[in-house]
Amino acid sequence: MGPIAIVTGAASGIGASCAHVLTGLGFTVVGLDLRQAPACARSIVVDVSDAQAVDDAFATVERELGPIDAVVAAAGYYERIDILDLDESAVDRMVAVLIDGTANVGRSALRRMLPRGRGSICTIGSELGLCGDADAAHYAACKGAVHAMTKTIAREAAPLGVRVNCVAPGPTDTPLMTTEMRDPSYIASLVLQRLVEPGEIAHMVAFVLDADGHNLVGQIISPNAGAVV
Amino acid sequence: MTRKLTGIAGRVAMVTGAGQGIGRAIAERLAAEGARVVVNDLNPDTATEVAEVIGGIAVPFDCADRAGVQRGVQVAAETLGPIELCVVNHAYMKMAPFVDEDPVDWQRTMDVNLKGALWVLQTTARPMVAGGYGRIVCISSEWGITGWPQAGAYATSKGGIISLVRSAARALGPRGVTVNAIAPGVTLTPQLQVDADSAGISYDEMVNVYARDVPLGRLGRPTDIAAVAAYLVSEPAGALVGQVISANGGSLT
Repeated sequence: MGPIAIVTGAASGIGASCAHVLTGLGFTVVGLDLRQAPACARSIVVDVSDAQAVDDAFATVERELGPIDAVVAAAGYYERIDILDLDESAVDRMVAVLIDGTANVGRSALRRMLPRGRGSICTIGSELGLCGDADAAHYAACKGAVHAMTKTIAREAAPLGVRVNCVAPGPTDTPLMTTEMRDPSYIASLVLQRLVEPGEIAHMVAFVLDADGHNLVGQIISPNAGAVV
Repeated sequence: MTRKLTGIAGRVAMVTGAGQGIGRAIAERLAAEGARVVVNDLNPDTATEVAEVIGGIAVPFDCADRAGVQRGVQVAAETLGPIELCVVNHAYMKMAPFVDEDPVDWQRTMDVNLKGALWVLQTTARPMVAGGYGRIVCISSEWGITGWPQAGAYATSKGGIISLVRSAARALGPRGVTVNAIAPGVTLTPQLQVDADSAGISYDEMVNVYARDVPLGRLGRPTDIAAVAAYLVSEPAGALVGQVISANGGSLT
């Protein structure tokens, strides 16, 4: 059995693509998602906003498969709501999934990796966390928070032997894409005049996780087809 | 886990300033990935030595000399075929207080680091655009983002490279050529001796001083930067456009 990776949000989109690429590189991938993740060797149904459930899932993986080498925190969702119409429930839900979800996964990973002095974590940010989004301020704000959280965790964990970085995708061709983002006029506004392929994100994630060969720590790397240069 | 990257094997790659330090590590890594490597350096001896070690060709020229760059790239293309991967790595550095900056050194720094990057980028990009495919990586510096005392000329030129890269990326992305930058933190290269001399301490003392501020607990190695450069010229990196990747062990996040 190869090294063990946990990928959250592994049932679809970028998470599924990460699971696929990591599996191809020899990882045994465990998917954590609200539903079964067919691309993974093993699938655990869990809501990342539930800290206890996340930690239980990590404990199960370590008990049944062994020490976790790599973690990808990809669980998330996108929705467009005008900033004047954002109500507490919409904001709370986004905070719970993107910020608390990433923090929960990060804590469960670090609790196990730090004592061993090895391991690698990649969070998933967003191009919109770098430049903002007029149609989804709550999403952009939460992704910006994920970026800052990643940098903080990275600075704490690096001296203890654990690498943390973030890949911040641009508009990627996944089920999260809205019809507005598929509009030809939007696509024409991108430098490359095309969407990002999920595989391009997954390969970037795999490179970042493979911490033996490089010294990336706390970086936000954004394959975004030129949406934010 | 070191793995083969796709889109490098069989392609012609040029690395400028590849006679030593980071450039040499990049040339070695790209050769290991199967590229046919054009080893450029100002110093013909080091270029030849590296080329012999990795099985590439040495094409020495001064990147500050536009016509010389054009001749060198032409010679390289006639020997190995069109260059599709280019790493603009060459650099010149002297340290001095900003107000006492020697105008000749200042100009040489801009000529080599900033204008030289443009000449190499421009010269290699033209045939890439004609072929519809290319990957260009420019080596900037953490100091190009933060600035650095006693390194005003160097930091200025390296900050300029970042804006150059963003502009080139916007101009060339639609034509099939990606352009990105790496901003290494302090890295274990012969250039560190310049810092040590400026501070009046030994190379090893300088390494310890700089390493204190790095969360990873060590300075960068040339191979760290080479790994990032190799990824950026690989095929799956095609959605990276005008990005600046800071490879610094966490010293700047």
